[in-house]
Amino acid sequence: MSNQAVGNVYQSVIDEVINSSRVDFEESGIEESVLEMLRQNGIKQEPHGQDEAGPAIKREPGHHLPMPPPMTFGGMDNNVAAHRAAQNLQQQYGERAVNSINAIQQGHHAGHQQQQHQHQHQQGQQGQQVADPQAAYRQQMAAATAAQQHASNGQGHLQHSQTDGAGEADSDGEEEEEDDFDAILCRKNEAGELQAMGRVDIDRILHKQFASKAKAMEGGGLMLPLEEATRHKTMPASKRKGKGVARYDGDDDDEEDDEDAINSDLDDPDDVGPDDDGDEDGLGHMMLCMYDKVQRVKNKWKCTLKDGVLTVNGKEYVFHKATGEYEW
Amino acid sequence: MAANNQAFYELYRGSSIGLALTDTLDDLIAHVNPETNQPEPLIPPQLAMKILASFDQAIAEVLQKNVKNRLSFKGSLDTYRFCDEVWTFLIKNVTFKMDHGHPPVTADKIKIVSCNAKKPGET
Repeated sequence: MSNQAVGNVYQSVIDEVINSSRVDFEESGIEESVLEMLRQNGIKQEPHGQDEAGPAIKREPGHHLPMPPPMTFGGMDNNVAAHRAAQNLQQQYGERAVNSINAIQQGHHAGHQQQQHQHQHQQGQQGQQVADPQAAYRQQMAAATAAQQHASNGQGHLQHSQTDGAGEADSDGEEEEEDDFDAILCRKNEAGELQAMGRVDIDRILHKQFASKAKAMEGGGLMLPLEEATRHKTMPASKRKGKGVARYDGDDDDEEDDEDAINSDLDDPDDVGPDDDGDEDGLGHMMLCMYDKVQRVKNKWKCTLKDGVLTVNGKEYVFHKATGEYEW
Repeated sequence: MAANNQAFYELYRGSSIGLALTDTLDDLIAHVNPETNQPEPLIPPQLAMKILASFDQAIAEVLQKNVKNRLSFKGSLDTYRFCDEVWTFLIKNVTFKMDHGHPPVTADKIKIVSCNAKKPGET
């Protein structure tokens, strides 16, 4: 069986490589231990004879390489991800991001949030209405018009980022006034009535806001390994794209867009992924060899191969000589 | 082919043992000191190239000298390519038959990369 011969063959290869490299190591002034490590790696790899990546990684920690490759690469990825995310944020959402951060820092953002949650609130109400079986159609229509209004509001947000629409400016003013009194905020519900908000409500809103910010920072990929971040984010991104106009209704969405920003950036290597997989599939079943003769008569091919290494179904085979016949 | 000062194909670097070696060498070169977080190569890249060159030679010689078994395979050829003296075949529904009554091995597809056994200079 070729499969059993593989072990010996690989062992000989490893020994030969190690022996012929010993002089080079000495010449370069590299410790023998590194060479030994190389050899150990080879030996541990050889009995598996299958998965190059697995053993290559497993081997490292046992020896004096203190940092196994996954960590190395992970670290690099993190840096890259962080760097990219920062870049991307700056490039695409810099102004808005700065605005919202400033808003938080200066404490102005309360009014800001009020509006966001106003929007959310209204959306929620719409949802409830739609869920109501009675007069569902009419309410859907109402919801649709409301959504359109939101859409136009949202466009206002997009264009001026911080400068809000007329009605919202009102609420800003009201809020400021009320701030002057006793720091209680009002928000407008859908009917345009003012609703007083207690401190607890405000705190809750703030908390939500901070939590979502934190999530955007951490879950958005800055603190995560690249892989997880992409896996995590790809789906929501596509979903959100599907929602289209209805989502353009406030700064809250901008923050989600911030997450998107990281996503879309990280999606790029993700897109490359499937191609890589395809290549690996090719590698998974692979024969590397020399050819002596390749003949073709019409669509029938015959070839004589020699000195080959064959990887198929996760197993390794070696052969001295092989003949292949196949039709095109 | 086994002459000592001769160049050897780098083909087998793509095998699993070759990939394992290149991975290991890459790790040694790209080694980062975990404490200082600074790059701290354990070997210079030139040495890695030398090691790979000796791997090319070693695996070619070992395959030639130490391996005796034969193999035959059949399948339907999907793609063929002959470029720069290298044959590349993509064969689908392929069945390998080994010596000694070893059960045949089948695969959906296999990629064969094959260099000329005779080097251009050889007769």
